Amino acid sequence: MSQDNTFSKTMQGYGRLTIFMIPIGIAINFVGGQFALLLKLPVYLDSIGTILVGATCGGLPGALVGAVSNVLNSITSPPTMVFGILSIMFGLLAGWLAKRGVFTSLTMTLLSAIPFAFIGGVLGALLTIWVFGGLAVGGGALVVGALTAAGFDINTANFLAQVPMDVLDKVPTVLVVYAILKGMPKRLFAKLPLGYIYLDKRSATTAAQKPTA
Amino acid sequence: MALVSIHGVSFTYAYSEQPALRDVSLQLEEGLLYGVIGTNASGKTTLCSLIRGLIPLFHPGTLTGKVEIRGRNLLDWDPAHLARAIGCVFENPFTQISGIKDTVFEEIAFGLENIGVPREEMITRVLGVVERLGLQSLIKKNPNELSGGQRQKVAFAAIVAMEADFIVIDEPTSQLDPEASDAVFGIIGDLRKQGKSIVLVEHKIDLMAQHADRIIVMKDGKVIGEGPTGDILTSEIMDVADVPRPEVTDLALALKGTAKALPTLPITRAQAFDAISPRLSG
Amino acid sequence: MQQDATKERAEFDREFVDAFRRPVSQGNWVRDINPLIAFLVLGCLAIIPIWIEGLIAPLAMCAAFVAISLLAGVGRHFIPGYLKLFLAVGLILFVLRAAFEPGDLVLFRLGPLSPTWEGVQSGARFALVVMVLCGALTLYAALIPAKYLMLALEQQGLTPRATYVLLTSFQAITDLAKNVRVVMDAQKSRGIETEGSILTRSKAFFPIIAPAFLAAMNQTEERAVALDARAFSSKAPHTRLVSLRGPRPWEFGLLLVAVAGVVVSIMGAYLSWP
Repeated sequence: MSQDNTFSKTMQGYGRLTIFMIPIGIAINFVGGQFALLLKLPVYLDSIGTILVGATCGGLPGALVGAVSNVLNSITSPPTMVFGILSIMFGLLAGWLAKRGVFTSLTMTLLSAIPFAFIGGVLGALLTIWVFGGLAVGGGALVVGALTAAGFDINTANFLAQVPMDVLDKVPTVLVVYAILKGMPKRLFAKLPLGYIYLDKRSATTAAQKPTA
Repeated sequence: MALVSIHGVSFTYAYSEQPALRDVSLQLEEGLLYGVIGTNASGKTTLCSLIRGLIPLFHPGTLTGKVEIRGRNLLDWDPAHLARAIGCVFENPFTQISGIKDTVFEEIAFGLENIGVPREEMITRVLGVVERLGLQSLIKKNPNELSGGQRQKVAFAAIVAMEADFIVIDEPTSQLDPEASDAVFGIIGDLRKQGKSIVLVEHKIDLMAQHADRIIVMKDGKVIGEGPTGDILTSEIMDVADVPRPEVTDLALALKGTAKALPTLPITRAQAFDAISPRLSG
Repeated sequence: MQQDATKERAEFDREFVDAFRRPVSQGNWVRDINPLIAFLVLGCLAIIPIWIEGLIAPLAMCAAFVAISLLAGVGRHFIPGYLKLFLAVGLILFVLRAAFEPGDLVLFRLGPLSPTWEGVQSGARFALVVMVLCGALTLYAALIPAKYLMLALEQQGLTPRATYVLLTSFQAITDLAKNVRVVMDAQKSRGIETEGSILTRSKAFFPIIAPAFLAAMNQTEERAVALDARAFSSKAPHTRLVSLRGPRPWEFGLLLVAVAGVVVSIMGAYLSWP
């Protein structure tokens, strides 16, 4: 029996596990964030799912996870919706980085926290300034407020508040993603669009299924 | 035409080094209940995945040999048609609930919605299945709040409603308590009476002895025996496969060759009762 | 007695089954408005106050939402939640802006803080506008169950795969939260501490969520097989057990009024500029 047309048949028949991973990604975002709150940790940890799905299924599914999670969070806090663009970018970036094998190495994964934190911290601060004049929502805004009272102008205050906060958040986030990727069984990777990246690295003798198209 | 025809099939999962199936050849006929037994990792689940068509499309790997389902090559089947032709129930009651329906009634109807059954017929079929499986008390409940045993019954109901003639059942009771297991086997027995073709993987050998028409014995990815239930369960193949026999058979084999030997080798309690009762009354 | 109870149960069940033969109804005319129309109407109502200066417009809209919730019979559900949001979200937004927004007329000084009249005004306005948006979203969630919205979207042509993804997300969140709790109890019994110093608490995060997250991901395989067994990937056109009644003419009228309201408020905003 030939294996030639099995990949195209896979896409027709069973597709990959992407549509099942997306709800899990959304749940991981939500529960991760809630759990961080429960443990009273000073970080968000609400993008783990976005990056995980981006790293295993591709940028677009990751972006979708980020977008839907953002919409769900916005129901009780509408200003959050503005920052949805950041969540989408996290997903797209995760997919892009994954294709370059970043998440197969611990060092590279740690370094990836930098672009993520840039998006969250710098772009986030810019968005807060442009859209909300510097004061958006939540704990971040309180910090910004305190800094302005201490004498910083509102723009600097935003960057001072958001960038370190995001670095503090993204480093553990990418570490958790790396650890989960390490713990996933091979048979699961075999069914994910970007799974071949992690199978290749795992076993040199594995006949990885690379997309032909 | 045989229901399933497997010739010289070997299969190795894409990420694995050892073959999961080695040179397997089997012929399965319509209308029978085939029990598949063997130790863990003997290839039982892989065989089920193969028959069900999940191999090689869903579980990638290297497949050699010939597989025909209802006379057509496995690879020529449209996966969606194959899913409708062969129902499947497996071990985990929690992953077989769709999660998007609020009531058991709608959950059972879900499969029918997907194949485009008109509403009135849907209602009739679901009610029929609910009646036959005795789920009347559950129909309004939320499937996500049921116990494992209840969920497994709902999973069966959902598959039975789709009216496939051939059902593959992989260890349906391993996560259930004895009461729920009995209920599930009641459902399986009922399906058998309706003439469905069934492939059943199970460890509970006593229940298997009661319900299976033929047994397939597996070890290390090979089929080391296939035949009528009575023949297989009383033969040495069970020892080779390292699978326990039904209690009553063990007892009878222990008595064999002694003065108290039984006239026949029973495999179910009913048969044992028949063999022993003449002595008790006499 | 026993027979009566069984007979009663059979009647009740028949009623339950019969309900599927009719278009679904939540028993209240507001909640029976077509989900898409309700979404658009609330959306329009939510953005109208943005174009009307001052505090009265957003306040009036918040009150309108409360009124709608009462008409719809979800007041008991909606109002306490809305009030809590006012305190948790609205109040904080107000205080932040009032305290820190730069302005000319300083009201008083409290340590490093010098709230201004401009700050108070802009704070109140911002908070109220946000509360209007909040109100619209939470009111919608209270009026229309997600499954009916999905049904309405499917009727408009949205693929069932999309509705599946959205609906399972809600259930996935509940299931995962439950599993995390189970893992947390198990890990606590093995000595992992969730109270104490920040370092202790941080060390608890990973050992608890990683197993729960991994288990959830591993289950996706089985779910895919189970769904496939229900012919989810079938190309045949799907039918639905539950049916939504099509929108009635007065619902379109309502939508028209809401859109007109938006148009009028936008025009009003532009026309009143010098």
